This record gives sequence, structure tokens and C-alpha cells, in this order.
Amino acid sequence: MIKEILKNLTRKKNVIPYPEGFGFSSEEAARIITLQDGIDGIFKRSLRIRQVDAGSCNACEWECTALTNPVYDIQRFGIDFVASPRHADLLLVTGPVSRQMELALKKTYIATPEPRLVVACGDCSIDGGVYKCSYAVANGVANVIPVDCYISGCPPSPLRIIEGLLALLKKLTA
Amino acid sequence: MEKAFKRSININRYLNEVYIEVQKKDFKDACIYLYQNGEAILRTMFAADERQIDGTFKIYSVFSVPGKDEFSIIYTSLSGDDLSFPSITINIPAAHWYEREIHDMFGLVPEGHPDLRRLVFHDSFPAGSHPLRKDWSARESDLREWGEGIIVKKPYAFMEVEGEGITEIPVGPVHAGIIEPGHFRFSSVGETIFFLEPRLFYTHKGTEKHFETLGFSEGVRLAERVSGTSSFSHSAAYCMAVERMAGIGLTEKAEAVRTLLLEIERLYNHIGDIGNMCAGSGLAVGYAKGAVIKEQLMQLNERLTGSRYLRGINTIGGVNSDAFLKKDHIMTVLDAVTKEYKSLMKLLLGSVSHMDRVEKTGKLSRDIALKLGVTGVAARASGINDDIRKAHPHLLYDRLYFEPHTTSKGDVFARMMVRAEETECSISMIETLFENSYGGALTAEKKDIPPLSSALGYTETPRGSVFYWVKSDANGKPLRVKFRSPSYCNWPAVPFAVHGNIVPDFPLCNKSFNLSYSGCDM
Repeated sequence: MIKEILKNLTRKKNVIPYPEGFGFSSEEAARIITLQDGIDGIFKRSLRIRQVDAGSCNACEWECTALTNPVYDIQRFGIDFVASPRHADLLLVTGPVSRQMELALKKTYIATPEPRLVVACGDCSIDGGVYKCSYAVANGVANVIPVDCYISGCPPSPLRIIEGLLALLKKLTA
Repeated sequence: MEKAFKRSININRYLNEVYIEVQKKDFKDACIYLYQNGEAILRTMFAADERQIDGTFKIYSVFSVPGKDEFSIIYTSLSGDDLSFPSITINIPAAHWYEREIHDMFGLVPEGHPDLRRLVFHDSFPAGSHPLRKDWSARESDLREWGEGIIVKKPYAFMEVEGEGITEIPVGPVHAGIIEPGHFRFSSVGETIFFLEPRLFYTHKGTEKHFETLGFSEGVRLAERVSGTSSFSHSAAYCMAVERMAGIGLTEKAEAVRTLLLEIERLYNHIGDIGNMCAGSGLAVGYAKGAVIKEQLMQLNERLTGSRYLRGINTIGGVNSDAFLKKDHIMTVLDAVTKEYKSLMKLLLGSVSHMDRVEKTGKLSRDIALKLGVTGVAARASGINDDIRKAHPHLLYDRLYFEPHTTSKGDVFARMMVRAEETECSISMIETLFENSYGGALTAEKKDIPPLSSALGYTETPRGSVFYWVKSDANGKPLRVKFRSPSYCNWPAVPFAVHGNIVPDFPLCNKSFNLSYSGCDM
């Protein structure tokens, strides 16, 4: 590990290049960068997200985890995932809301200080998705708590989640 | 006991499945005979409501004997008003969750089961309500009250540890990290975990019932969404079950594409898991490196199939697109990944702090793993040589050379190393797959689903074996779809692995198993 640190210290370039094989178009990059303005403006460089799994298949969670990896590195915008709803500005809810998670989701919502935002992330969270009409799901987050923004996709890729957050911020500033 | 086996009412053979019908009084003895004398592994156990066919409920238990590509499916009928069957849990501990599940979902009573508390449903679910019965319907008010979770309709008694110095630590269902929901109750003595009781099934979505309302071909979409990171294995096993039932034979091309994508899925999961273990041991640089390699593979998935989780490729009778056309692209990414992965492993094995955390932590003994029917990486790390790809060769696995990697240590380090060896194995298998060319169309000719037929589908997911069992009704529609994900077998083993470890090591132990809640909760 010391070798690794030394290697990074002695490297001439300040920016660590993306490993080969990653492709982002310049348009995508430009779109994402505009996210910064919204965060700087409203949240003073600090938007704290609490992710709540309300019965998703776990794919959405992995995409949220991917947001924090060195490739997407969502922390550079001042966005971070926090461990408690009491520290959060925004709840990112995934899954169709299984009946056995309904109460826990409501309690999490109540524990989040106002003003709070709720984003429903993934197709299931919009209307139940593939699980729609199963006896054990509530067919979407909006049936349980009020939702401010929907991000579609099954699962939405990390880029789409960033774009979704951007759209929400735009709506707030408009 | 052998007599019970010989008194079987009838024996049917279909492909590598042998259906043995026994009388109810012989059911227990027949199972025990196979388990003890044949050293058979209990693969899954389930019930089916077949009252519309012959007025009975059926209990099936699926065994397979190591070294033999054959499934012995012992089943018995419960007719009339007597809705109980002899429990086999005392003799075959691996059956304990299956029987509790049957009790919850069908209201059939396993007589002699030592612990008949609810498994799937929580306190607010109405008593005496059993969703997998065909005549079940839910009152809207009952479902609403279930969701509200305030009225306790059947209380659940957590096991309590009493004594001086015992502290109870409840955790969840909403956890601190970005993970799935589940409740854990630790009884600890100081820092040391004395007893852990997990309460899962928060993400129960009624998947098996939902399969019955969808047709067989629409079910593929649902199978892909049972467990996110095993999307491809689950849908491959589901398709295999339906294809075997309908007698559809895959083309060589379709088999090759499925084998290739199964190995790519294993690759991204194993490398991601190894990286993720570093999050448990506090080695941030290892975690970041693992995440970057995983991301590279996820982007490869997207370019191959349009989905980062390999969804939308499997279909009944074959696959939708030919991943072999993108050979150059796969090889470029694979080369880069291999290089990065080797440097990651060098980093991990050379890191004193990481090694100190993973060695001798979370030990799961071979004996307990065997008794609980543990599968996959966790089983192989505890010295059980069990890999469905080897035990029941399917797709192109009989043509590829590989050995199941086992080690007898059973700790977190062992699980990490089994993953590491399998990663290298998967890389070489993918390379071997590209050495040949495969003929045939992407999908085989469609066939109608024959009425009243059934079949098993199975494969090895990155976590362990997955099984699907499907049965059609008189109209060729789904009568019962049962799936058993690897996490369902492995969850009961986690409390044994963490016993005697300190509470801060729990996340590390948990990550070394990397179990899916959604797949387990159904």
C-alpha cells in the first residue's frame, strides 16, 4: 500500500486518469458538471442523501454504491450518502415498497428533518414495476410517503441517478 | 428405513430427475435413508397446492447425491382434512427453514418441527392466511393493516439470552450503509457476539405467487429481478426449467452465450465482493480499486447486452443477442481487468492490517455447513466440494475444464481466496470459450408448454446454487413456480459464523458471505 501511495505522490500528473475502457462523451460530462451550480446555490455544497431500500432487488443499491466509486465520485459535487436519516436532506427510496417495509419507511421519513426531499429511484418505486399488483407490495413509494422526483430505469445507471438529482435541483431553483 | 424407500408407490424418471412417490408415513424415513446412506444434499424442499388436479397438497424434497448427475425428488400427497406431514428437520437440519416456509405459505403443519415460529410473515400479517393456496384471497383491509404494521396479529418471540453481562443490540431493518433491509439482534458479552438472531423477509414481495399470475414467458422478466446481482443466473435457471419442461433443446450458440454471460456475471460479482470486503476491513484503497474494476465490467455488460446487470438477454428457448460478436471488446476489457485484478490481490495479500482482520474471523465449520446445506463460495471455503457446474453439468460446462476450489479453513480469508481462485478460473474459461466457434440460431423453435408437467432448472450463481422448479396446470399455465436462491440456504449459517467474533467484525463476516436479502425473502 505504501508503494501505491508513493506512486501517486510521485506521479507527474495531478489528476489520476480513468482506467482504460471507460467512455463518457463530452456532452454527458458537461451535463453532469452543471449539477454543481444547483448544489452550490441551494445546499451550499452539501447535499446529504439517505438511501432506503424498500424491497428492491438490490440492483438499485449497487448503482447507488457505484456513485461513490472513483469513476463517478459523487462526493466531488458535495453530495454524500449518510448513515442516519437524521443527517439527511434527501431520501433516495428504491423498491416497490414491500408491505413489511412500509412501517420502516414511514419511520425513516418522519426521522428526516424538514425541509426534506424524497426521490423514488427505479421503475419499481414508481408504480411497482414488474412486481405491480403482487399482494405483498404497495405499488410504489408515492402510495406510502410524498415523492418529489422520480428516476426511471431498471435499475437507473449511476449517470441517470446524477441526472435525476440535477433535474430535481433545477426544479427547485426555477 | 430402506423399506420405506422400497415401499414407494411409483417411480417416474424425467431427464435427470427421478420422482419417487411415497406414502405420508414413509416420507420421513425415505428422506433420512437417502440423506444418511447416500450422503445426499437437500437441494430444496417445497409444497404445491395441486387440489385442482387430484385434490391434494404435495410435499416435495429434492436431493442430489454427490458424484452423480441425478436428482431424487421424494414426494408425498396430503389428502383430505389432515393437513400435516412428518417433519424431517430433527434428522436433516437443512430442512428447518423450508418447513417453516411451507407452514407460512400453505398452512401445512410439519409435525415434530422444533421451532414453528413464523419465518416469512411478520407480526401484522393475519393469522391463518396462506397466500400460496390457490383459493386464497386477501381482504384490502388486512393488507393495509399488514403494511401499517401496528396491530400485532401473531407475535414473534425473539430468542433471548439471559445472564449477567449480556447486552442486546438490535440493528435494522434500515441500516447505516447502502444495503438491503434486515433486522439483526445481537446478544453480546462485552464486545463478543454470543448469539445472533436475524429477522429477515422485510423485502418479501410475494414473488412465487406473482410468477403464477404471469405466464411462463413473462416470468423471465420477473426471474431477472429476484436478486439484482444474480439477474442472469436466475433467469438462466428459470428458462432452463421451462425449456426442460417443454422439451425445448437449446442450440449450441445459445448455450455458449449463456455460459459466457454466466461467467462474466461471476467475474464482476467476485471482484466486486473482494473489493467490498475491504470496506469491511477498513482498507479504503482496496475498496476503491475493486470498485473501479467492477465498474469496468459493468460497462462491458452494458455494451454487450444493453443492461449493466445482463437483463433482457435470456428468453425461453435461447438468448436475444449474440455476445460473441463483440469478442475483441470483451478481450480488451478482460486483459485490462486481469492486470488490475492481479495488482489488487497483491495489495490485499501484502496488507498487514487487512490480513489481520480477515484471517481466523467468521469461521464456519465444515460440520455445520454440511448440516445446514450451505452452498456456493461459503460451502467451498468450509471444505465442501460442491459446485453445480461440476455436479450437474449443464450448458457447456461439461466441455470446459475447471475444478471446484475448496479450502478447509472456513474463515473470511478462505472465502476471499475461493473467490479469487474462481475469478482466475472464470477468466480462463471465458478465454477458452472464444477458442471455438458455435453454430445454430440464437433461439430454438417455440413449443407449447405441455399440461401437468414439471421440471427443475438450476445453475451456479456467484453466491451458490440456484434452483427453479416449475409445474404447469391443465391449460399449460404456471401452477407453481418455486425458486430457491443460494442466500436462502446460507443465511442460517451466518449466526454460527459470527459466534465468538466481536461486533465490529460482523460487517466483515456479512460481506464475506455477501448474501442477497431480496433473493432470500422471495
